Amino acid sequence: MAAIPPTGPPAEEVGSTVRRATGVLGVALGLALVLTSCGDGKGSGGGAGGGAKSEVIAIAADPLDYINPLNENGSPGIQVAQAVFAPLVATDPNTGKTVNVMADSVTPDKTSQTWTIKLKPGNTFQNGQALTAKDYVDSWNLTAQGSTAWKNNGFFSKVEGYDAMNPPTPDGATPKPTSVKTLSGLKQLDDLTFSVKLKVPFSQFGLTLQYLGLAPLPEEVRKNPDAYKRKPIGNGAFKLDGAWNPGDDIKLVKWDGYKGPNAPEADAITFRFIPNADTAYNEFLAGNVDFVDVPPTKIKTFKTDAPDGWVTATSSGANYLTMPAWDPRYKNPKLRHAFSMAIDRKAFADLVGLATPSNGLVSPDMDGYRPDACKYCNFDPTAAKQLLAEAGGFSGAVNINYNTTSATGQIFAEAIGNMLRQNLGLTVKYTGKQGSEITQLADTRKLDGLRFSGWGHDYPSIEDYLTPMFKSNGDANFSGYNSPELDKVLAQGDAEPNPEKAIKLYQHAEDIALEDMPLIPLYAKQNAYLHSAKIMPRVSKYTGVQALYSTFK
Amino acid sequence: MTRFVLRRILAAIPIGLIVTLGVFALVFAMPGDPLRELAGDKPIPAAVLAAKRAQFHLDDPFIVQYLLSMKDMFTGHFGTTFAGADIASQLRLRIPVTLKLATLSLALQWIAGLLFGLYAGFRRNGVVDRMLLLSTLVVLAVPGLVLYFAGQFLFGVQLKWLPVSGITEGYPLAYLLPATCIAITGFAGMARLTRTSIVDTANADFVKTARAKGLGEQRILWRHVLPNALLPVVTLMGIDFAGIFAGAVLAESIFNLPGLGQFLFQSIRFHEGGVVVLLSTLAFVMFIAINLVVDIVYGFIDPRVRNV
Repeated sequence: MAAIPPTGPPAEEVGSTVRRATGVLGVALGLALVLTSCGDGKGSGGGAGGGAKSEVIAIAADPLDYINPLNENGSPGIQVAQAVFAPLVATDPNTGKTVNVMADSVTPDKTSQTWTIKLKPGNTFQNGQALTAKDYVDSWNLTAQGSTAWKNNGFFSKVEGYDAMNPPTPDGATPKPTSVKTLSGLKQLDDLTFSVKLKVPFSQFGLTLQYLGLAPLPEEVRKNPDAYKRKPIGNGAFKLDGAWNPGDDIKLVKWDGYKGPNAPEADAITFRFIPNADTAYNEFLAGNVDFVDVPPTKIKTFKTDAPDGWVTATSSGANYLTMPAWDPRYKNPKLRHAFSMAIDRKAFADLVGLATPSNGLVSPDMDGYRPDACKYCNFDPTAAKQLLAEAGGFSGAVNINYNTTSATGQIFAEAIGNMLRQNLGLTVKYTGKQGSEITQLADTRKLDGLRFSGWGHDYPSIEDYLTPMFKSNGDANFSGYNSPELDKVLAQGDAEPNPEKAIKLYQHAEDIALEDMPLIPLYAKQNAYLHSAKIMPRVSKYTGVQALYSTFK
Repeated sequence: MTRFVLRRILAAIPIGLIVTLGVFALVFAMPGDPLRELAGDKPIPAAVLAAKRAQFHLDDPFIVQYLLSMKDMFTGHFGTTFAGADIASQLRLRIPVTLKLATLSLALQWIAGLLFGLYAGFRRNGVVDRMLLLSTLVVLAVPGLVLYFAGQFLFGVQLKWLPVSGITEGYPLAYLLPATCIAITGFAGMARLTRTSIVDTANADFVKTARAKGLGEQRILWRHVLPNALLPVVTLMGIDFAGIFAGAVLAESIFNLPGLGQFLFQSIRFHEGGVVVLLSTLAFVMFIAINLVVDIVYGFIDPRVRNV
């Protein structure tokens, strides 16, 4: 046997050593595999659907912890709840008109303050319990209680008796217990009829009833909602297929008891939650899911990645640059118009990707949208400079706040900042913060400078843009805007039973807001989706792209 | 040995308190309201915010919130996250996932690192040694994110050899790609340390003395070179094992593995102080336990350490 020279042993020596080491490590690897082989062996999964009319829908979000439409106010919870629960009314994807689903009729009184809702007979929940007016009244009362802490509590703030159930609580204080457990404005008239009395007339209330966050819960769920967090009992077209445990996909199968209109064609649907949007996209490319949202990083490539399987639609929402009404430097409307006209919306929309420049404050897919609503949204640097001079200029630096948790927050902020700098000669600085911190500072009127904001409607009315964002006490009044004139016109629109006349009044409110411009319209985003060859998602001008209502080839 | 183990465990208690308090303070100090973060762009009614704040003691002073979290942890009443997920169920789901990912990735990393390190160390300046140097430089230069997505696209999307993400394919198939990616990023350090350590030890005076005494090469290799050369490698293995939690955050996020790393990431995003402390405590206990094991193993490999 040779000695080990400083440069290393001979080959056979090394071979022996390595063989032994390999043996030891091989045992270690085997042990690791054996030790950890118990547990989640779920066998074959994946695959884009098993049956002829089944589809796998990828949702790029954290997995849901429960399915309860009354405690969901956005995607993806509402997306899943749409399959399991059915609303009172819905938008017809072909005509854009409101059609009855669980409701037989929705009738306002002369003033639009009291609404009578009659249900269709013969509908049941998936546990066999008949669907009655009591289920709506009790479910809504449960949600309206602040102590239930469900997200759609705020919807009922328009109903008479809400304030008695939810006495105003100072920020940071523990809510006082209240003995009031029911909304005085909510009354069951018979088994299938109930009435809703609102605090003030509201002509759009009938449209709000298509919001899935108002779906009913059966009695056994209302008694102990926590026990049914992962085993919902709905009244919709699909029900859970077996147990749904943490970490599992949500597997749904068609429920034969659904008697409403517009039943989806699919027999089975699987919702697969993939928090990383790029990973979800790759799952589609690998053929493991049938439908996926295109993430912002793939906007430039999705058409070549799936040349025969993509659809786009304008999203139901609009995006803005928000002015702080609490900062006197931004008070002059001429200065706001100057900012608006210094922004090249076309270039900015190109930067966003799939987007169209905004020329108004409401989403383009709304009844009542006017493509020429905004007089100050054209890109005109000369006029912008003139307006800024007339406004007396701007003192100090314009601070643009952006969300650090958004991949594009800083890019968008710098794009807007460069336009203001180049076209108006302003000094611009940028502040990155978490989205929740920006919201909190804006809510307490302490935010320094501009921020980005966006809004999507819960029901298809331009009123659902104007009231939340521009009414003086609106839920989403990001800018702290206050106009008694606009409040008055909105109230007139709310009290106007004629839909056409109501829209005219809301458009007038939009004109007032555009003249004051607390929010500068930026862009309306288009959403893009990929779908497999076996399905064609429903694409509608009124309801967007819906994988739930896919047709099968 | 028993006294040594007891002393280490007792010393861990004050360190644990400092670590948990520090972590909780960091989460507490994060700007922004956690409940607003949960709601996204939609407003939350004041009544709901107030009820949620009361439910999760968010209006209590910092130290009260910390003590309540510790109490919940030690009494096993983990409760729910702000979003409503049952934390105990989440732990039952996630701990096995992270353990499987960690053990598989470490096994792959150690096998590759030790094999290449040993071979290159014994065959210094040979083809394998030069290839190792080049490959480790490449691995160290490529960001983990790029490597993970490239691996996912190549082996999952294009070749379809392995699942793109998720655990529905079960163990070990679903874990093979993320574990290999983690192993590749960790292999470079292990291989280079092993190689350098072998070279240094093989040239040490005590090896020359052993050889001068006429000891056989097998005996020199197994009794003198390897035990001494592997001392720093064992330390690195301990650090690797204790650090699996951190490595799991990125891999679990990209490969959609519902493990503790993904849970930690979500919890930090939503300012879930209690959950972050719980997970940090788990990581801390693991760190202490593994360090203890490493120290004991050290004693077996190197008798000098036993009496320290």
